[in-house]
Amino acid sequence: MTERIRHSRQSAIRLFAREYYESSLPDGGEGEFDPVFIITKLGAKVNRMLVAGVIEGLERRDTERGPMYQGSVRDPTGRHMWSVGSFQPELHSEMEELLARFESGDRFLMTCVGKSNHYQTEDGGFFVRMRLEDHAIIDRAAYAAWLIDAADHTMRRIDAWSKAKECADASPDSLREAGVPEDLHDGLLLALGHYPDWDPESYKVGVLQALSAAEGRFVSFDEDEADSTPEVAAAPQAEASGDSEEGAADIPETVLSLIKEKAGEDGLDYNSIVQGCAQRGINDEAAIENAIDKLRDVDCEIIEARFGWFKPLSN
Amino acid sequence: MTDADEYSVEIAAVKEAVPDVDDERVAEEFRRYRDEFLIPPRDALRSVVKKFQAEAGLEQTGGSASLPSRRASKKAELFKELSSDDSNVTIEVEVVTYTPRIQMVRGEERQIAFGWIEDNPWVEGGERVRWDFKDWGGHAESLVPGSVVRLEGVSVNEWQGKFSINVNQSSRIAILREGGRTVNIAPNEAVDIGRALEMDGFVTITGRVIASRAQSVQRKDGSGTIDMIKGRLADNTGTIGFVSWGEFDHPIGTLLRIEGAAIRRFRDTPELNIGEQTKVEVYHDKGFASLQDLESSSVVNIADLRDGARDVSAVVQIVSWDSRTFTTQDGEEKTVWGGEVIDPSGRCRMTAWDEVEIDISDKPVAVRLENFRVRAWQGSPDITIDNAEQITVLDEIPWEAIDAESHTVEVPFTELIKGNSRRGVTTSANIVSVQVGSGLIKRCTESPCRRVLFDGSCSEHGPQTGENDLRLRMVMDDGICNASLIVGRDPTEAFLSTSLAEVEKQWDAGGGEDFLLALRSKLLGQKVRVRGRTVIDEQGAMMMADSIDVLEIDTDAAVEELRQRWEVFA
Repeated sequence: MTERIRHSRQSAIRLFAREYYESSLPDGGEGEFDPVFIITKLGAKVNRMLVAGVIEGLERRDTERGPMYQGSVRDPTGRHMWSVGSFQPELHSEMEELLARFESGDRFLMTCVGKSNHYQTEDGGFFVRMRLEDHAIIDRAAYAAWLIDAADHTMRRIDAWSKAKECADASPDSLREAGVPEDLHDGLLLALGHYPDWDPESYKVGVLQALSAAEGRFVSFDEDEADSTPEVAAAPQAEASGDSEEGAADIPETVLSLIKEKAGEDGLDYNSIVQGCAQRGINDEAAIENAIDKLRDVDCEIIEARFGWFKPLSN
Repeated sequence: MTDADEYSVEIAAVKEAVPDVDDERVAEEFRRYRDEFLIPPRDALRSVVKKFQAEAGLEQTGGSASLPSRRASKKAELFKELSSDDSNVTIEVEVVTYTPRIQMVRGEERQIAFGWIEDNPWVEGGERVRWDFKDWGGHAESLVPGSVVRLEGVSVNEWQGKFSINVNQSSRIAILREGGRTVNIAPNEAVDIGRALEMDGFVTITGRVIASRAQSVQRKDGSGTIDMIKGRLADNTGTIGFVSWGEFDHPIGTLLRIEGAAIRRFRDTPELNIGEQTKVEVYHDKGFASLQDLESSSVVNIADLRDGARDVSAVVQIVSWDSRTFTTQDGEEKTVWGGEVIDPSGRCRMTAWDEVEIDISDKPVAVRLENFRVRAWQGSPDITIDNAEQITVLDEIPWEAIDAESHTVEVPFTELIKGNSRRGVTTSANIVSVQVGSGLIKRCTESPCRRVLFDGSCSEHGPQTGENDLRLRMVMDDGICNASLIVGRDPTEAFLSTSLAEVEKQWDAGGGEDFLLALRSKLLGQKVRVRGRTVIDEQGAMMMADSIDVLEIDTDAAVEELRQRWEVFA
């Protein structure tokens, strides 16, 4: 038998979409059996990854070698693009089922395990993707657990990155001394050498968004509404309509129970929701819209089956 | 309206925490949060406050800062440029002396060192100033006398008009010129035993003898015996076995300085070899840990047992105890005793090659085991007893009664996978793969073969119908490490609330694929808690489950814990 280095299985890195798609450094793959990694700015060495989010796109493309599938899931920081190749026929029947669900307007949360890959365009653009190995449809609790897990790992990397930045020389010894976990040494040394100076604050913002989403708290990141968190947005209205603050906080609950109660085959339309809320003493349309957005994008309790029509997320 | 006006409320709040901060810069930061990160000023306040606190070098509540503080470092060429409040200094010096010492620091004994350093190291014959230094960070390897080093992140200390340098744990030392003046064949700087355990080659240590006995081994060529002394030395940082090939008449309790002993490894365990070149002398240090203290620390937990270790002591509770008789190759009848033992840290096997009758039928029994050796058995450490005298039955169990049936120790996943093979452990990680071969399988009917049949054939015993069995094969992964997870029939039936008979029915109806699909949608990405044992070797890590459950996560508690741990608030 010829001598061959045995590569143990690569662990699945937990990371948000933004950290992944902002990467531009591949590493490894020199030998036939060497794993290829994508090195993120925070030094994660991504070969296998575990991601999650609400499904945002899925389409089949027919190629000379057979069909392939491209899809994406959205997490609080952006989209994870993934694909199933024509050379993965074992996944095709599941993809067809998923595609039928997606095309019928159904939206759901997914967890995806896959391998990193990348391609470069002729003009030098570098894009990363993920080749799907396995997937499952998950519920909100499992999604929240993933958000927390990914937030934890992201913070761990930010912490390690900050410690590494403080090191005078980039060597494994000094990283060890600075308290950087062993599994991040390689990736951090590569990342520090490749990426120009940058501020990881924006990744921390992603963590905050994810944690808020996991808690079901609505943190507004609208560009033009710096003060549109529900507390702020709802409070003046509560005063105006004489409602208590608790009453204002119940808007999402009211909207959700309305939709669950009244949604037909196509769901419940926007005007009916606003009317229903008015009957229950809620007149602030902006707050209702916020509540709908929250239920759809943050809580993932409802889906917008077609524009302006809402129904509960089937699960 | 300027930024400063727009954010006046928030800026005032920041100034409360950091009085000297520049308004415009704070406003700029808030604008950046709003425009670049899409976070309203109200929500960004905490992060902005922390940022400017860090910048101003103000105490941050909670310690470890997620936003790093970087105090400007001061570069100096000569000691005279330094003043007593400089705390992040970079300077190049020559090390003149380096003397390690144990010192009490806040009630704890710590290895520190002091010595002399001189500035202006590059000018031969130039004027130099000599200062004292203290090394709080264990930089013995870098601060070798005679070497020229660059000290980074060191601080200046002034006491009664005398200046000195503190080299801290966080300080960095770059060796610019190796110390070539002192020529040591054997290093004469003593190292801690804890450090020596990780070294190869020659070392010098100071330690107390905590075990010692004469042994003799037959020469292979039958020309007689070799006498030796085997034993164990200890200091505060650990214990190490030793073997002395010459005279060694130091009773247990003696404190020794052993200079230039070779470290040899047997399996995973280092041993100190005291040979002709080694200098052994009685050492005096009233501050050194007493025999009593050291003895109690040489009693190890099951979790710490390492294959190949010798002269280990432990207290364990016996869970099962039995004997079996077998015939050796020479036709001799032999009895070996064995069973399972536990302590609060875990569970392992124990084997005795001498008659050891222990009755555990009425009540649980704990024993003290002296100077035993550890061998691996099926990947897990096995306590090996050669002589019944090594076992003392204790009057009572020294810990709260452990329920032997359900006893298990919770170990973080990465720690478990990076460690030795262990029994009686519980850990959690996510399922990232549910593998083909989960569900109904056929096993070879030959006993004790039980191999899984491949295409209706056993690789050893050929084609056959086989016997149905149920098991799950998956991969557990915590984002850092991963391990194969094997769930046998009993835990699978319990976990899936099914039975082998039901799965057989499902399979007969062509439902093998449905079984896998259902399993995957139930488990993929989910965090599971598994109790069982691990087998860790060059092939990788495997966990054999006694039970498996999907973990329910309390989202709010988990988020709160994470916010506290990493100090992320918005």
